[in-house]
Amino acid sequence: MSSKQNGAELKSARRSALLQKFQSTLSERPAEPIEVEPSMLRGWTRRNLLIFGAGALATLAVGGSQLPREVFERLGLDPLKTGSDDKWLLNKALQLDDDVATALYSQHHLVPTYTKSQITPLKNNYNGATPDPDYIPGWRLTLDGLSSGLTVSLDIGVLLAHHQIHDQITRLVCVEGWSAIAWWSGLRFDDLLHAYPPVSQAKWAHIESSVNLDVNGNPDPYFVSIDLLTAQHPQTLLATHLNGQPLTVEHGAPLRLLVPVKLGLKNIKAITRITYTKDEPRDYWAERGYSRYDGI
Amino acid sequence: MSSIRQIQSERIATGARAHRNRALVVCRHHVLVRISHWLTIPLLLGLILSGISIYWASPIYQHSPDPQSGIFDYFADAGIWICAHIRWLHHYADPADWVYNHISLGPFMLAFAMRFHWLCAYSLMLNGLVYLVGLILGGGWRSLLPRDARGVLQVTRYYLGLPYAILARRRQTHPGFHTKYNPLQRLAYFSVAAAGFLSVTTGWAIHKPAQLSWLAAIFGGFDKARVWHFWLMWFFVVFVIPHVVLVIADGWDTLRSMITGWSTRFVRPEVSDHEL
Repeated sequence: MSSKQNGAELKSARRSALLQKFQSTLSERPAEPIEVEPSMLRGWTRRNLLIFGAGALATLAVGGSQLPREVFERLGLDPLKTGSDDKWLLNKALQLDDDVATALYSQHHLVPTYTKSQITPLKNNYNGATPDPDYIPGWRLTLDGLSSGLTVSLDIGVLLAHHQIHDQITRLVCVEGWSAIAWWSGLRFDDLLHAYPPVSQAKWAHIESSVNLDVNGNPDPYFVSIDLLTAQHPQTLLATHLNGQPLTVEHGAPLRLLVPVKLGLKNIKAITRITYTKDEPRDYWAERGYSRYDGI
Repeated sequence: MSSIRQIQSERIATGARAHRNRALVVCRHHVLVRISHWLTIPLLLGLILSGISIYWASPIYQHSPDPQSGIFDYFADAGIWICAHIRWLHHYADPADWVYNHISLGPFMLAFAMRFHWLCAYSLMLNGLVYLVGLILGGGWRSLLPRDARGVLQVTRYYLGLPYAILARRRQTHPGFHTKYNPLQRLAYFSVAAAGFLSVTTGWAIHKPAQLSWLAAIFGGFDKARVWHFWLMWFFVVFVIPHVVLVIADGWDTLRSMITGWSTRFVRPEVSDHEL
């Protein structure tokens, strides 16, 4: 036998040994039985049943305490008629989720953009009253909380003349679960921040809207909080156009926020005022049990 | 505790017969596996109930709105159908909400349902890690790897034929295997763990479609990831029904082993099938 052949045989033997070792690592090991008195087994069983039963009761109690009254009423029960409405554990979970979303955010990570052929219809999801378009000719954007200490009032002509217009086709994701791909044009929020810098300690923008009537025409002001890190994102626009056309009243004429790293509800329409603040400002949907951060 | 150690130090060789008054037991499930197994029940229940409440806000499966009622959701149609065909539900106040009132936390509670979903989802992820640690520490992972496709078919054929065999009063013998789980069990338990992993990943894909856009892309984009997430829920529902039926049919030892860990049934390689 030549040494070459020998070497090949050795190789294949080694390979099959390796395969066997791999298979035995994955294969089941026989269980090692131990001998016990039946009374002892009964004792262990009793003890474990008690421990697991107590755990089950504790889980039910904690879970049940976090459910709202409507769920019990639907079941024909209302055991906590005078119970507190503080859902501390749920609020903790929401806070944790917001912290995770904040950690995931990066100013350098761009959201996916699409082509014009991928554009989908975008509905106006606001069920309140659409404002009377009479506000548009006299519309002005008020900026407050600036480093200059002044309050600035701008008209749409000034905004469009002094800032570069950017186009982007991005996905708007609604908290409800639907989404739409649309072509937006507008100036970067970051450019406005450079042109009119906020006070140095400012971390937040409080944005108000002229969409402020509910379905019956009663006052229902809409406002959101946006952290300045998100405002500085290159894809955060103050949009003036949708699909190449000036914004209609339904979509927030003449200027709306387009922030594709947040849920749709932060994309506030018909902006009238931006106030920069040091502390976190109020947010319409956060006051109604939703996230404050809404990062996606 | 010391008595247990004493017994363990006198371990008896595999396959040996126990002393007349004593029982031979094996530890079937690691304590972390048992804890995470039972915690999965409330967590999955909470996730499904809150998940359907979230689904209500924008159903994946919609038809064009009904000209009269404006209803576009198949779950609403199902509720209307149920209330029309079940006599004692004829006077139900909101037939379109019937499904959501009975298999979810309820309609019109998106904000609450989302907070509840996040609580259960973060807990489920933690629970999944506890399960994995338990599988590794107890060595149980080896029993979960699917490796016998023919065996899966054999066992499936047995269970499919079982209802007829019972009706026909014909004896049918269960295929025998020298492993902790039979091949169908291995496939089922492995798939349910895989489905848990996929539920978590599709969940992240639709929760953070901008920052984790690569993850959404793996599942075919944001909208398709929602469809995945929805049908994975039904996989758990479909798994649970035979799982519970078979545990009851199998008897106390199987149920006890998931509570205490101990089982008197174990593989004895030297003993033939007949004696088992």
